[in-house]
Amino acid sequence: MSIVRLTTHIRAATALAVLATFAACSGGGAPTEVNPVTTPPPVADYTGPAPANADVQAFRINLWENIKASNRCGGCHNAGGQTPNFARNDHVNLAYQAAIALVDLAQPDQSRLVTKVAGGHNCWLASAAACGDTMTVWIRNWAGSVAGGGKTIQLQEPPIKDVGASKTFPESSSLYGSTIWPLVRGQGNCLRCHSPASATPQSPYFAASDVNAAYAAARAKINLDAPGLSRLVVRLREESHNCWTASCANDANTMEAAVRAFANGVPVTPVDPTLQLSKAITLYDGTVAAGGNRFETAQIALYEFKTGMGTTVYDTSGVEPAANLTMSGSIEWVGGWGLNVKTGGKAQGTTSGSKKLADMVKASGEYSIEAWVAPGNVVQEDAYIVSYSGGTMANNATLSQMAYQYQAMTRSSDTDANGMPALLTRAADEDAQASLQHVVLTYDPVNGQRIYVNGQYTGDTDGNGGSLSDWDDSFALVLGNDPSGQRQWTGTLRLVAVHNRALTLPQIQQNFTAGVGERYFMLFNVSQLLNLPKSYVMFESSQYDSYSYLFTKPTFINLDSGVVPNGIALKGLRIGLNGQEARVGQAYIPLDVTVGGSNYVAGSGQLLSNTGTVIALEKGPESDLFFLTFEQLGTATRAYPEEPMPTPPVLADSENPELGLRTFDEINQTMSNITGVPITTTAVASTYDLVKQALPSVESIDAFGSSQQMGIAQLAISYCDAMVEDTALRNAFFGGAPDVNSQTGRDAMITSIVGKAVGTNLTSQPTDGEVRAELNALVTRLAGTCGGSCNATRTATIAKASCAAAIGSGAMLLQ
Amino acid sequence: MKLDRRTGAVCLLMSLAAATAVAGPREQAKRMHDRLAGVPPTESVLANMAADIAAGNALAAAETAMQNRAFYDVTLKNFATPWTNRDQTVFAPLNDYSATVIGMVRDDVPFNTALSADLVYVSNAAGLPAYSAVNNDHYAQAESRGVDLKATLVSSQQSALLGIPANATAGLMTTRASSEAFFINGTNRAMFRFTLMNHLCRDLEQLQDPQLPPDRIRQDVSRSPGGDSRVYMNNCIGCHTGLEPMTQAFAYYDFDETQQRLVYTAGVPNAKYFVNADNFKPGYITPDDHWDNYWRKGHNRLLGWGWGTTATTGAGTGAKTLGEELANSEAFASCQVQKVFKAVCFRVPQDSADRAKVASIAQVFRGNGYRMKTVFAETAAYCKGQ
Repeated sequence: MSIVRLTTHIRAATALAVLATFAACSGGGAPTEVNPVTTPPPVADYTGPAPANADVQAFRINLWENIKASNRCGGCHNAGGQTPNFARNDHVNLAYQAAIALVDLAQPDQSRLVTKVAGGHNCWLASAAACGDTMTVWIRNWAGSVAGGGKTIQLQEPPIKDVGASKTFPESSSLYGSTIWPLVRGQGNCLRCHSPASATPQSPYFAASDVNAAYAAARAKINLDAPGLSRLVVRLREESHNCWTASCANDANTMEAAVRAFANGVPVTPVDPTLQLSKAITLYDGTVAAGGNRFETAQIALYEFKTGMGTTVYDTSGVEPAANLTMSGSIEWVGGWGLNVKTGGKAQGTTSGSKKLADMVKASGEYSIEAWVAPGNVVQEDAYIVSYSGGTMANNATLSQMAYQYQAMTRSSDTDANGMPALLTRAADEDAQASLQHVVLTYDPVNGQRIYVNGQYTGDTDGNGGSLSDWDDSFALVLGNDPSGQRQWTGTLRLVAVHNRALTLPQIQQNFTAGVGERYFMLFNVSQLLNLPKSYVMFESSQYDSYSYLFTKPTFINLDSGVVPNGIALKGLRIGLNGQEARVGQAYIPLDVTVGGSNYVAGSGQLLSNTGTVIALEKGPESDLFFLTFEQLGTATRAYPEEPMPTPPVLADSENPELGLRTFDEINQTMSNITGVPITTTAVASTYDLVKQALPSVESIDAFGSSQQMGIAQLAISYCDAMVEDTALRNAFFGGAPDVNSQTGRDAMITSIVGKAVGTNLTSQPTDGEVRAELNALVTRLAGTCGGSCNATRTATIAKASCAAAIGSGAMLLQ
Repeated sequence: MKLDRRTGAVCLLMSLAAATAVAGPREQAKRMHDRLAGVPPTESVLANMAADIAAGNALAAAETAMQNRAFYDVTLKNFATPWTNRDQTVFAPLNDYSATVIGMVRDDVPFNTALSADLVYVSNAAGLPAYSAVNNDHYAQAESRGVDLKATLVSSQQSALLGIPANATAGLMTTRASSEAFFINGTNRAMFRFTLMNHLCRDLEQLQDPQLPPDRIRQDVSRSPGGDSRVYMNNCIGCHTGLEPMTQAFAYYDFDETQQRLVYTAGVPNAKYFVNADNFKPGYITPDDHWDNYWRKGHNRLLGWGWGTTATTGAGTGAKTLGEELANSEAFASCQVQKVFKAVCFRVPQDSADRAKVASIAQVFRGNGYRMKTVFAETAAYCKGQ
């Protein structure tokens, strides 16, 4: 087996089977040399010889004292018991000699002690994985306190697997047309929106009338291997997305049956033989890249959420007693290590289990809460992410979310019993985002509380801190709420740690850089494509959340450090899983690089792209079988022709009124043109400003309302008033002073109005006779009050009214 | 003075009467004039237009209507104003964006340069404050004073007035009004989205293509919003695959709120391109203003890129070349026709006949040097009534 060793900085290849060395993961630094603050419980009963040297002393305080008890390894592997006697409590030096063969200080998680307990061998917890993690921490602490070099990762060649056959979507849409399409086209079903002919069209148009177009749109929403996981089904079942009956469950079942019928009709097809394929591997075939670079010296509680089942969240800090938490309410595990807290959910420790936090923090007078969180939203307020409290009014330490802000409350001699006043990050900074963030709250008596987000100090300060000696050790540690259940936070937790030191900025940045979750170096064997043994394209990969994988840092590497590839063309890389190229997330299609030359560093390879991408999870990390394809790798090529031009969607016909309204500016300008009053005239301009937004803003006649008519009337009166009051304009309009006291005068006035405001000889306008009759009736009624001898003032008023009736009418408004 | 209550009855009656339309040449002429200029024609203009229509030359009649200053002061101003602000309100004041549209139409400037030209129109009316890169006073006063835009607009160089390099100008996109609306705060994605909506008549929702490479999606886009990457893979990614590589063209632009002006930093991507970088650390880090049109592949090829030209290739640097790419698409030409159609016919194309007409007018538009008045004339002639 070839082994490649990685360290922080690329080093020259060694002469051993180890070929090259570089970082375990990005940005990893040398382990800290700060002495542990957490003193293990004293071993009062030990009377044997003193540790022979510093390494034995490190073994003693970090590992031996944790395992020698009779309810741990010491129950069997004691002096007179089962060999190896690494837990004997009579002679620490002999225990050390036995233990040294069982540990791998370079890779603590690969130690025999770890693999045994993680495999279920007499684990003292309910979860073997939690035992393994705890044992790893103890061994790592031992290694960290004596080792001088960086933690290393050894790349291991994965087993050779071929890409397997799978179901692929048929070219023809006929199967879709006979299974799913009739359902989504059903009256009142998806057809309501997911068709271009819908009144509210929403892509994807999988319910389009054109079955070919519909099928093309539906393919990304169908899971052939697991019909129940198809987006078409999940949208109904889990998201209650516009179900067409009262029962989303029934609709989802109906949809699943249709998708299943479709999937059953699709034969298993071999992998496209024209693809240029790498060998295949699963995520877990990769080399573990996670862990090891965190600053954990002062860590007193650690939750990594690795268990993935059951209701216990294990504290794997290795600091006794373990402050395990119990999940309750709506809270569930997240794939790739995490906990999804929903409304009503929390994970709470016992007061006795949590007591160590108060004890250890009071002893040091400072602490830090560190969390990798993905808030579910940025509107939740008073939402407690991590809280060590006794209810809403009594609290030792709490990290919470206030919409876009993070909030910290630490009970000290300078605050009330609830830790108020709180420290809030600046609202304008919007530090809290609904994405995965590394958030650290630190507290020390000098600086008080500080909050760091993604490795950066937010700059918010609450001044001095006080003493923490008043911390109440009867409180409980709670994730996602407070003990009373009144401070719900929703979102995803990927890691929570408590330290009894205020972490420094470099330490926080170290932990931020170390990342979270399980990560793997996935080595895709491309040797057969290049005819060059030990050639790989390597990704740093992880399960990103319950629904996807993260792929980053594609790197070409040959594990034989003596080989330096040259001039290898690499173009159009695609990620495939379960026999098919992933349809979404192919970030490396544009890749077009040449591997070799000065870009390639022997032993560490050549980074192909800085960009990462997420690929949808299908069957789960144990089963999803990944591979790579290439448009070109070396001399192997495969063309990816453009798919035929899609058919443009056919839009639905509609019927619309042929006529429309004049809009606000048009009305204003039209009235100005008719009356001759400039739009800048003070009186009309002020009225226009007043009514402008009450006038029609769109031509649509359907949108006409009575308030608009009122605005039009006001503006019309304003224009007619300005016109009649201005002698020159009035004379131009009426041909002189209007006369309402005689029919001849009225006729003349009406003729002027009709000619200018309505137009003549236009069949699209009201008929001359109709308008004249209406206006004449209006003038007659208005003049009736002065008995046929209206004075000039009254006449002017009647003229204005008649003018306004015409220019404020439908004859002006409609076009 | 208050309106006599009985006047309302007159209005109603007249509305009903007017709704029964029978269209001869005079009626058709009136409708064309009403809809093009926004105001009724004078009797002489009406007669003139009616004669043209009777002679089978409706386009000439439309050209006559477009000589009315209200076509510029009213119709075109309100045609363009909603494009110039985020609320898409027509009640926004005249500004350099809308004035430039008006000027380009008046002078028959090829409209496919609208998103790339070093051009801005200002008014030379007496008494107006000079154009300013830091406020809109020039245009606001021109509007409030009722300035005749048809008579007073003159073309000028945007680069000279805004103090940016000529190759940094991108027509309407880099006008001050557009900058204030779409380069302010945010991440400059708004400029691309609103330009799409205003000039290609499509919002991002309609252009989703999740199968394109997501390699250019910036770090600030969470790949797992609220811890659920399905949201990203089913929704976010669809828009961002195409959006991001084109928005990169705006990397050097910002609207400085303090100075109230467009700021262009050649060679240095603005800090807004790096906000929230920790949302997805392996996301794309913008190095420059190189853009690529990923929509030249996939189903958005339907937008007809490089329509009748090989001058645009789907990649370039800066907003100017992106503007050329966008404005030389079939979707751009078609969109201008659709907007005019809506403005003149008062409806979106409603049936196959309408859609065919829009397509044919778009062809005429391109064949006629992207002359907007031709689009107005053709459309008004089509909707003049039977």
